[in-house]
Amino acid sequence: MNDQNNVLEFKDVRKIYRMGDEEINALDGVNLNIKNGSFTSIMGPSGSGKSTLLHVAGILDMPTQGTLLLNGKDTSTLSGKEQAKFRRSEIGFVFQRFNLLPQLSTLENVLLPMIKPDPDKAKELLDKMGLNKKYKKLPNQLSGGEQQRVSIARALINNPSLILADEPTGELDSKNAEVIMSILQDLNKNEGVTIIIVTHNPLAAEFTDETIEMRDGNIIG
Amino acid sequence: MGINSLSFKNFRRRKLRSILTMLGVVIGVIALVVLVGITTGMTNYMKESTNNMMGDVTIMNSTGGGTIVAQPGSSFLSPETVDELKNMPQLYNIREELQFMTAFNQTTIYILGTSDWGQIDINGTHGVVINPAIEDMGYKIGDKITIKDQEFTVTGTFSEEAMGMGILVLDADKALPLNDNKTTSITANTRGDPEVIKDEIENNIDGITVSTKSDMTKQIEEMMGGLTLFIGGIASIALLVGVISIINIMLVNVTERTREIGVLKAIGFTSREVLVSILLESALIGFIGGLVGLIIAAIILQLVIILFGSQIGDIQLVQMLPLWLIAGVLGGATGLSILAGLYPAWRASRLNVVEALRNE
Repeated sequence: MNDQNNVLEFKDVRKIYRMGDEEINALDGVNLNIKNGSFTSIMGPSGSGKSTLLHVAGILDMPTQGTLLLNGKDTSTLSGKEQAKFRRSEIGFVFQRFNLLPQLSTLENVLLPMIKPDPDKAKELLDKMGLNKKYKKLPNQLSGGEQQRVSIARALINNPSLILADEPTGELDSKNAEVIMSILQDLNKNEGVTIIIVTHNPLAAEFTDETIEMRDGNIIG
Repeated sequence: MGINSLSFKNFRRRKLRSILTMLGVVIGVIALVVLVGITTGMTNYMKESTNNMMGDVTIMNSTGGGTIVAQPGSSFLSPETVDELKNMPQLYNIREELQFMTAFNQTTIYILGTSDWGQIDINGTHGVVINPAIEDMGYKIGDKITIKDQEFTVTGTFSEEAMGMGILVLDADKALPLNDNKTTSITANTRGDPEVIKDEIENNIDGITVSTKSDMTKQIEEMMGGLTLFIGGIASIALLVGVISIINIMLVNVTERTREIGVLKAIGFTSREVLVSILLESALIGFIGGLVGLIIAAIILQLVIILFGSQIGDIQLVQMLPLWLIAGVLGGATGLSILAGLYPAWRASRLNVVEALRNE
């Protein structure tokens, strides 16, 4: 039943939010498999459920109905502590607004998710992102493109099987957006990291191998 | 990079805010330590001077109340009782101390008879020593002074005040005849356990109370313990106000950092780890505030000793600031701060990740 090649399997996943008296079907019965080593973009207008899909995929949010298998494991059976452990070891998040901790240096931000900090590994990742001279800089001393590269390094530090990026180019100019997408593409092609991005930007989606369109909580293509 | 080193960074991040919050704790700790320190110092000083000056036992007329501070004019020991005591083989180094009031120059003065001049800081020599109130009546060293038709020559002065009343100190054997040979108390050393000998004396002689050093120390502790508790209670209110401001500030901090807390959870920190890191941050405010308060309080206490040391006796800083007070205040400030952080930390740990990440 469970396909070893799938990192993620959504089975009739529903997510219902309640806003006052109104019920909103953010996800309305989504069936989706994400293959190991794939590079997928999810597009769609605001409110189409693409961010919710990403949150559910990253166990930041739990489905109201249906099942989600992450590496074959039913996420609804995980305790809060196990969810946190999964997020730490299996998933790397990249956010639209970078979300680096402002009081920590570049290097410290990258080391934050590590249980046993390995500065050499963090430096190696930062070097790969072209940030070899910025270890001690604070986030507000970096450009948006640089901050996003730090956050990619942070996402990669625990060798996750999946990178989830929510509008990774949303706050960047087109040149920086291209740099970030190239980095993600390189990680996917050369290191086999499975990546899902949510984006509004068709140029960003072009870097991915597969694009999923969403509307009203459903996948339409 | 642990989440807990984040607590230290957060503490430093809003320096002014952290310092102002700490200030509440600092002021509370200063009030507590200075006030409790002074009463503790007085207690310890009284206990130590009791130990130094008294013999092993002090014997009084039982209607005199057996308190350390004998009321002048209260019951005396009769010469017969004193003789009986002097004949007891268990006692040695027997000293009579007496105090009574007498009319003098249209007023009333205290007469103190002592066998131990070492306790009085005299200008001149011992023998017949007067205080400022009697000096004000026009007496000085070398003058003749007449008490109950007996003439004495003033040999020295000392600075003891007694609410404007005159005090004249004499050798006990010279003072006794002035009081019909009745003495107020007897101090003596004992051959053997003071507690056992106390029982022996009380069983043999009627109408007297024997106090041992430990009895007196206990009385001082009881008397001063209540005072210390009362003063400590009042000063604790200041500390409590400081701690309540920690609750307030930590709530502000947590609200302000909502998105950061969302990020921490997204990258794999558990709710419990978030909770502990917030508690650590408020513990830090309490501990550092407590430490700074203690240091300032110690400086103030040292100043009190320097400025008023001559009036309150030879008190040392260690007597005012014993280890239990230091440990109690530091532990208390830290513990209360952790309690203050509980609610904000619980709120932070319960944040919904998705909503937290959406927070501006």
